Amino acid sequence: MKAWLGALLLLSSLAGGLRAQEAGHDGGAAPVWNEIKGEKLLALKLRGDAARGAEAFVGCQGCHKRGATGSPSGAYPRLAGQHATVLIEQMTDIRSGRRQNAKMLPFADEHVLTPQEIADIAIYLQGLPIPPNLGKGPGDKLERGKELFVRDCSTCHGERGEGQAEKFYPLVAGQHFKYLLRETEFIRDGRRGNANPDMVRVIKPYTDDDLEAVADYIARLEAPAAAPSQ
Amino acid sequence: MDTSDCSGRRGDAKFAGAQERTRAWLAALGFVVAAPAWADDAEKAKTIVANVCSACHGIDGNSTVPTYPKLAGRHPDYIVRELKEFISGKRKSDIMAPICAALDPGDFKGLGAYFGAQKPSSGTVLNAKAAAEGKKLYQDGNELSGVPACAGCHEPDAAGNKRFPRLAGQHREYLVEQLHNFRNDIRNNETARVMREVAKRLTEDEITAVAEYLTGL
Repeated sequence: MKAWLGALLLLSSLAGGLRAQEAGHDGGAAPVWNEIKGEKLLALKLRGDAARGAEAFVGCQGCHKRGATGSPSGAYPRLAGQHATVLIEQMTDIRSGRRQNAKMLPFADEHVLTPQEIADIAIYLQGLPIPPNLGKGPGDKLERGKELFVRDCSTCHGERGEGQAEKFYPLVAGQHFKYLLRETEFIRDGRRGNANPDMVRVIKPYTDDDLEAVADYIARLEAPAAAPSQ
Repeated sequence: MDTSDCSGRRGDAKFAGAQERTRAWLAALGFVVAAPAWADDAEKAKTIVANVCSACHGIDGNSTVPTYPKLAGRHPDYIVRELKEFISGKRKSDIMAPICAALDPGDFKGLGAYFGAQKPSSGTVLNAKAAAEGKKLYQDGNELSGVPACAGCHEPDAAGNKRFPRLAGQHREYLVEQLHNFRNDIRNNETARVMREVAKRLTEDEITAVAEYLTGL
């Protein structure tokens, strides 16, 4: 798995570079979403060690909780079972400032974690079991939520909300309702700096009720069994 | 006649003889055959505690002076780290720096083991309401201001571990002072600046509350 991931990263970074060059010739253009370079590229290439990751994660569990279950209030997401690629993307984006997170940054910045530790934490979290029955919504708009999810979300995030590790699309099934609601609002309203422009375009017309409906639907999807940690 | 007993005795004598011969050989080869080193370390640590540490920290590591920390039950590795950092100046203390500099760093491990093995005492809660609020903060943090749960690093029972110190039963006065020192960058030897960040997010009431909770554990 590591080998194809490495090849894929190499290809995608080359492609990203080419695209950036082409854009440069055209006289500057939109930045590439999730460009794989710098410490993000480094952390993705490094082999993570789940045991070391468990040690490094101790400093994170004051907020994300033991077992990385997060908080039903939506203040902190569940991280257990998330794709390692997505976790590396998000941690490095928060460090680079592409995703603004002033609360978390002092606990994950360069003086706290090395790129190796980011890789270690990511592989550790990916292998953690996903707890059932996390924060849910009011449950009164689930039909509408399903309709929106099937139409707009499932192409990328998967029919069961399982995401796609190699494309950096997160596992969303079983995430805390309030966290999903907050982040989809941020993405719709242009407040999440590293949002995928394709997703911004899709949910731009969503009303608050639409967001609540789809977040509630996703929060109730049963998360798949944890991926292997290596 | 019980032959098995006889043969047993013979066996013992044979074994002791073999042991003697081994010692003789080792001595001939230049090895010093002595009591295990850890036994010496423990005896030495006891003497250092009695002569140096106990005046402030108590002979059993349960200081009775509120501004001097209790050390009983702390993880030995954490004690060794702090002693070294008092010497290097990474952790600043006008009291501890000269005391530690006068000690042999080779004895730190023994001191850590000594204090780590002592039974920690609990303090008395004087303000039950504050202690209840402190418990909530300690176990859950403050999501609005981004204060992490203390339990994340210091363990749910506040017993600490090799990287993070025991807080259970600690004097409230000492805890408040350390949190103030972190907040004001006076104490700055912690891992990855984490406690300075946490202390800056705490209100004065939260500091009082969490200290009240911990002192009673």
